[in-house]
Amino acid sequence: MSQLRKQFSKIYDQNVERIYRFIFLKVSSQEIAEDLTSEVFTRGWQAYKDQRLKTKDQKEKCDIKNVTAFLYQIARNLIADHYRQKAQAQFVSMENVTPVVDTGVNLEEQALLRSDFDGVRTALSNLKEDYREVIVWYYLDELKVPEIAKILGKSEEAVRVQIHRALNALREKLRGAHK
Amino acid sequence: MTDKELIRKIKELKEVKPRKDWVVFTKSQILGEDVHSEGVHIWSVFQWRTALAPVISVLVIIGLFGFAQYTVPGDLLFSVKKVTETVQVGLSSAIEKPQLRLELANKRLEELMRIAQANDVNSLGPAIEEFQGNISKAAEDLAAINVNVTTSDPVVLKGLMEEAKELTQNKKKVENVLGTQVGDTQDLESALMQLEKKTAAHLIADLEERTLSEEDQILLEEAKEHFDAGEYSLALEKIWMLSNK
Repeated sequence: MSQLRKQFSKIYDQNVERIYRFIFLKVSSQEIAEDLTSEVFTRGWQAYKDQRLKTKDQKEKCDIKNVTAFLYQIARNLIADHYRQKAQAQFVSMENVTPVVDTGVNLEEQALLRSDFDGVRTALSNLKEDYREVIVWYYLDELKVPEIAKILGKSEEAVRVQIHRALNALREKLRGAHK
Repeated sequence: MTDKELIRKIKELKEVKPRKDWVVFTKSQILGEDVHSEGVHIWSVFQWRTALAPVISVLVIIGLFGFAQYTVPGDLLFSVKKVTETVQVGLSSAIEKPQLRLELANKRLEELMRIAQANDVNSLGPAIEEFQGNISKAAEDLAAINVNVTTSDPVVLKGLMEEAKELTQNKKKVENVLGTQVGDTQDLESALMQLEKKTAAHLIADLEERTLSEEDQILLEEAKEHFDAGEYSLALEKIWMLSNK
């Protein structure tokens, strides 16, 4: 078990920042992003333990890349659940949700908001789910196209097209914001 | 806005990171919850009382060092933390040293942010001094890197540059919050630019010796154009695109 914990500890260290960023860029709240990220890794750890304990006799090598894809899947599901619950509470359309910023925003977030990339952050959080995801994965998390294709269950060509369209869509959002 | 400019702006969002203390705490919550399910019976340890004394002493010392990791400059146990860091740096190689120093400088900035949030005016002066010290040493270590001998590995050097860029961005954030400058990074920026120049020159010379595809040749030409224009980081971007194919 301690060997499993060590392995997952490495997985945690390698992925916690990107999973947090992936979630934060959608929910725009430190508190919510922390809660959801914590839940991602809690579920990830449980699944990892279950799977590894089942296969330990076969001495399977730990495939970190698959675990990363798995963690992103959990994160996507949790974000969807989060907004589903919000929609039920507030009767607001998911696509048109204005990013909610914590009213109890701390000094660090204030500095973040004052910086000059806030326009890009807001535009990105307002982008269609599919487009925002590929932009975050490709340009921020620097995942390769095959890895993204695996997460989305699409062909590599479809992912390349999506990245290209996502970039154009983001540019249009920014252009619209500056008018 | 060109694709290049848009991508540059997107990449600035890498600044979005979780709080370090939250990361550590959450990890311990998730992975620490299973201690009891491993069947460790703590009560049985106390049956071996005499054997425990040295073990407990060691654990107290480790605990002290562990606790010291959360201290800031000005705190009583901060010197303990510094000892750990000094040993770490002392044991590192010539290429690891500047990376480590930059990470420590970033740590000092996080501590400054915590000091600002806690309104701990007394710790501000020592914290700024510690940060400046780390920056100067990082600049010295960067200047000492010989790309022909120490390393010309683009991935290693890319890591250094990203850490330095993160430092500059974090410094701006902290200065925004504090409303004051926390140190001069001119030496560091100058050392970094020189390193970018030396690295780009070395890698371009190396690539010119190789047989490249037409596409790669175009990237190399673009890299050389950027280099000639003094745009060393852009030259390196092109070279890294080449290496990552």
